Amino acid sequence: MKIIISTLGVLLILGCDPFVTEFEDSSDAVMYGANSKSDAAYDSGDVKVVTWNIRFGIAQFPFFGDSCGDDVILDDDTIEQNMAAIADSLNAMDADIVLLQEVDVSSKRTGYMDQVQYLLDNTNLNYGCYASMWKADFIPSDGIGRIDAGNAILSKYKLTDAERIQLRLRTDQDGLTQYFYLRRNIVKAKIPALTQGAQDFYAVDIHATAFATDDTKQQHIDKYVETLAEIHDGGDLFVTGGDLNSVPPGSSTDFCESDMCAGEDFHTDEAEEYHKEGSYFENFDGEPDILLPLYDTYDAAIDSASYNLPEHFTHAPSTSLIDDTTATMYDRKLDYLFTNGTWDSSSGRTHQAAWELSDHLPVSAVLNLGGE
Amino acid sequence: MKKIIFYFIIASLVFGETKKWDAHSAYLLPQKRWEMGLFQPFRYGYSESIEYSVHPLWFFVMPNLSIKKSQSDFAGFTSASQYKMVYPTPFLNMIAKEGTMGIIAPEFRMPPMLGLSASWLMSKTIFPFVSPYSLIGLDLTLNVGLDLGVTFGDLDTRSTIDIPLVYHRLGVYYNKWGIHTGLDVQKNISEKIGVLVDFDLRLLPGLAEVQIDPDASKLMGEYSLEHKFLLIWNKSENFRVLTGYKFVMGEYPYGSDMRLLPYIPMAETWVPIIEFQWARKKR
Repeated sequence: MKIIISTLGVLLILGCDPFVTEFEDSSDAVMYGANSKSDAAYDSGDVKVVTWNIRFGIAQFPFFGDSCGDDVILDDDTIEQNMAAIADSLNAMDADIVLLQEVDVSSKRTGYMDQVQYLLDNTNLNYGCYASMWKADFIPSDGIGRIDAGNAILSKYKLTDAERIQLRLRTDQDGLTQYFYLRRNIVKAKIPALTQGAQDFYAVDIHATAFATDDTKQQHIDKYVETLAEIHDGGDLFVTGGDLNSVPPGSSTDFCESDMCAGEDFHTDEAEEYHKEGSYFENFDGEPDILLPLYDTYDAAIDSASYNLPEHFTHAPSTSLIDDTTATMYDRKLDYLFTNGTWDSSSGRTHQAAWELSDHLPVSAVLNLGGE
Repeated sequence: MKKIIFYFIIASLVFGETKKWDAHSAYLLPQKRWEMGLFQPFRYGYSESIEYSVHPLWFFVMPNLSIKKSQSDFAGFTSASQYKMVYPTPFLNMIAKEGTMGIIAPEFRMPPMLGLSASWLMSKTIFPFVSPYSLIGLDLTLNVGLDLGVTFGDLDTRSTIDIPLVYHRLGVYYNKWGIHTGLDVQKNISEKIGVLVDFDLRLLPGLAEVQIDPDASKLMGEYSLEHKFLLIWNKSENFRVLTGYKFVMGEYPYGSDMRLLPYIPMAETWVPIIEFQWARKKR
């Protein structure tokens, strides 16, 4: 009997990992290292930072979840080609710190490729930390199956104290949907090599909600602002960015018509939903100005004089078309970089030439360190 | 063909040992007795040497049939052969869909597929008088068999269902063949109470090599080891209740995994198997 009870105890421990992983408010991020590290010593000078939602390496694939497509699983060869192109782009940018969103590390839809490890092994970046936003043994919907996707910080220099900060879950979903749905987060890490005197240096990466129709986005931005304020008030330095899924103040807030798929109907009384989820940016009071606290407090890579210019748009759904044959490459800005230090003037760039590699475009800027 | 028919006729004359409540052994059901359970197939003792079984609830979406046939004793073991046939295509296409319960991505259409399986079973009662408490000793059953997955069309390797229990059973269609073997041990510990412990190994030889082939991409999962423990309460010869657990570990496209079953996802907990089984004898 003792043997049976002991065996059952062991099996209970080994065989009862959560089916869907839920997270504490604060937990450790998963640490990564490149298999072969390039010269990682920081020898003063400016630091280049990039943020990029890489859409888990599926480029313009008509994925069902964020476009008008109805496909789910891309073939492995194409994913590898896309990831190689993303790695090439990052190498060409020669960034010191890269803030990534929508990175798969063990997902059926992308052939279980560990994209964090792939990028570390194929770029001049050496260290990484990862925080899952969607981790489940099996999602029984749309053939998604096993999933582990999230945010990652990659860096030439060693990362420490990497923390995953949980963002509030959506409240506009039923319990079953919420159980299997995304758990968005902020991932924060310290980079000791970039410490400036008594100022520790942090990188902070966020991917805020895209499709919530309640006040979840406000909660996410509030938590983000709070996280940055803690660093700033502590006298430390940060670079931060990500896919905030929010348009800049003064931007158009209604993209329902341009994002509409065949057979859909919005802005009519007959429509099932008046606005398309993820395409409308006035779901609650103050949403159009939700980013003002960030712009008012910190230095933006793309400043308020430029953020509504088309050359700084960073996103369009992958299936959006101008006409029957011409893709909409970008029609709004959703991706941002900020610092409580100072960006080199005019260093902020939106890399629109990379539009074919994702449905978001990378944004980069150079941080002026040491007053140079 | 005549030889095959002749073989079956001759072989049918070999009467095997019969036994109640012993689905996984080489013993056949007594003639005209049927047994079924919530999660077990409907079994029927057609004759002293042939037993049929079918999963009735699954039958309309996944036609299936199994025949167990007694064979001559081998090395002191009661022996039987078992042949299974399953056509999973309708069910798999039902779950290849958009939305909730879309288990397979909707872009995939599963071609007609036929699963064939042949097993050899050998049973024996060992240690008949182990202790004063032993009623009839240990019932031991060994089985080994070959599985074939015949597909009539292109089967996309991305359409696998990568979860324990399912992946290796359907893996036969992607690998074209597989091997299974197992050991069952059953013992009555009182007049009404018994225990069953089993171990089953499924192998998909060559699947790892297929994965290395870039044309076939991400297919792995060479083995799956399943273990079950059941406590059995035999209320009568017509009804019994079973409870216990099933443990499965193996290699999957994403790596090694293990899981204690049944597992309730939203409660994030294991719960015991509860199985009811009924039987009757047709007059």
